[in-house]
Amino acid sequence: MQAIILFGVLVLTYLMFVAKRMPVLIRSFRCQSFFLFLVTSIMAFDEHQLDLYIVAALLFVIKVLLIPYLLYRIMKKMRVSGDIGLFVNVQLSLLCALGLAYLAWIFSARLVAPSSQAQISILTIAFFAVLAGLFLMISRMSALAQIIGLLVMENGLFLLACAVSGGMPFFVEIAIFFDVFVSVVIMGFFVYRINKLFTHIDVNKLSNLKG
Amino acid sequence: MQIFFILGIPLLLSLATLLIRRQKILGIINCIGYLLVLFCGATLLGKTFLSKSTISFFNFIYMDTLSTFFIFVTSIVSFVVALYSIGYIKKDVEQGVISRRKARIYYLLFNLFCCSMFLVPAVNNLGILWVAVEMTTLISAFLVGFYNTKKSVEAAWKYIIICSVGIIFALLGTILFSYAFSISGLEKSLNWSSMVPVAHILDKNILKIAFIFILVGYGTKAGLAPMHTWLPDAHSQAIAPISALLSGVLLKTAIYAILRFGIIIIHGVGFGYFSNLMILFGAISLIISSGFILVQKDLKRLLAYSSIEHIGIIAIGFGIGAPLAIMGALLHVFNHAITKSLMFFGAGNIVSVYKKHNMNAIRGVIKAMPFTGVTVLLGVFAITGFCPFSLFISELMILTGAFTSGSYLVAGLLLLSLAIIFGAFIYHFGKMLFGNLPKEMIVTKEPLSGKFVFSFLLFLILIPGIGLIFINKDLLWIAQNLFQR
Repeated sequence: MQAIILFGVLVLTYLMFVAKRMPVLIRSFRCQSFFLFLVTSIMAFDEHQLDLYIVAALLFVIKVLLIPYLLYRIMKKMRVSGDIGLFVNVQLSLLCALGLAYLAWIFSARLVAPSSQAQISILTIAFFAVLAGLFLMISRMSALAQIIGLLVMENGLFLLACAVSGGMPFFVEIAIFFDVFVSVVIMGFFVYRINKLFTHIDVNKLSNLKG
Repeated sequence: MQIFFILGIPLLLSLATLLIRRQKILGIINCIGYLLVLFCGATLLGKTFLSKSTISFFNFIYMDTLSTFFIFVTSIVSFVVALYSIGYIKKDVEQGVISRRKARIYYLLFNLFCCSMFLVPAVNNLGILWVAVEMTTLISAFLVGFYNTKKSVEAAWKYIIICSVGIIFALLGTILFSYAFSISGLEKSLNWSSMVPVAHILDKNILKIAFIFILVGYGTKAGLAPMHTWLPDAHSQAIAPISALLSGVLLKTAIYAILRFGIIIIHGVGFGYFSNLMILFGAISLIISSGFILVQKDLKRLLAYSSIEHIGIIAIGFGIGAPLAIMGALLHVFNHAITKSLMFFGAGNIVSVYKKHNMNAIRGVIKAMPFTGVTVLLGVFAITGFCPFSLFISELMILTGAFTSGSYLVAGLLLLSLAIIFGAFIYHFGKMLFGNLPKEMIVTKEPLSGKFVFSFLLFLILIPGIGLIFINKDLLWIAQNLFQR
């Protein structure tokens, strides 16, 4: 069961590499978070821990419901086109994705003992999500895509924390969720301001400050 | 007990901004509040320093001399910033640059920002430490983009994105630390105080990888090159009092975080690994910043690059690791915070009179503003490490440490870049401070609170420098204790 869900996370991460428009990206982020929610709830069910149930519930409320809703709202309110603005075209992005996945696999295989195949695969997917987020932030021009990239990195870290140490301590987890939510709100606010001042959200064109 | 005051007073003050409407009263209350915080910070430092003990509450707060020292530095700088803000904000409101409502928002954000910075050195849990550092970024982004111009919003966006990505890597490092902790069969915990005693049995490879992530992550926040790209933008676009706070203490909170993990690394992997990485990043910072300082045209960017340089010196000081060098690095943290605040306040006054950042267009500051001009001149000598000022002492300590521990190459590099930066600073500021006034300039009087701030800061720059020449031997034991807890 868990393997299928993890495979889902992996596929969705690949999907983000080929997404050209914002709604697709937001939707795949939402699905990815939903799969993480499933992983956490299964873990909570196995270990009968109240903490994990609460973490799963928070994950659902914040990352599946609130943040995508917020992003959609920002997009609608600003009436910007949904294009992400690719620096790297889709085919090349997909090749990069393969390369990054391989890198993630090498890295996680070095990190844990080679006997535990299951753990290696979880770690690989987690690191791959982190790298995917980083790739999205670097290679996409829209400011909103950068926010999604950051969130994808955060998702990867969440999976990593689940895999390696059964999640962070409870109140740290809560604090991080709160933090992620606040950061999305604040970044959304700034995107809104950028749109108002510059009449675009193309990060590539933000180049007044140099030297 | 004092720590609750230190964390509570800024929170109460931020509540007060919602109730009190007059921004003048607000400024004065703020000042009194931060004076109290400063007092608490000093007693806290005295307590841990004299009794050589640690303070902890409920497994949540844990403070030793290192933490209380950083809290003390933060409290001094936040006090002078609160004092300087009164005059600065008043002038901005009078000139119509910001509205009265925005002045209150400024005080609200300022208090929250200070609170989050006080939280960083106080907490025990490394996860909460991460959250606190991220909170400092999120709150100060508003202060960077405060004027809502194209440039400042761009700077704020770069700041928030680059620092958030950096800090995500720090979280990755933190998770790997907890992984190293959990695979050695210990109970799950992210508390620093429970990690250090068992550091030597943790998996060495994982620790090494984790520390690289930590150094890249928190190093981004600390402004270590090559991850420094957000820093000149943010520091040059923020409001002058906030630039002082960003440069004086925000960077140091990130350095503090690196040191906390560094102590685990030193116990777990050995000193060489920590030392090499710190010296490497420090040296890159020195080289890059000295290059940019030479060719700089913008006054506040010049000061921002100078911060990168000093962060590099501090990193090198901790990296060398001889007790004298560690002591020097700690003192450098204090001295740089004070001196850079002075310089940013001076730059703020200059910019607000001349209305431009370009150094080639600014002439005759000493004639226009005699008091500010002279203090800035003294500040230039202080920040480049000229003799009677305290930065000279701390730099000398780091250099001596480097020579006695045999790192001649590092010492040579340090000396070379210090010389370059000294020349560049004298050149840039010589042109600005002296010379004739532009024709259309009208000379105005300077506010009293500003003068008081400058005198206070100058006092702080001079006295420890002279005092430490005589007593620095007695202080060495702190440095010796610091890494061997």
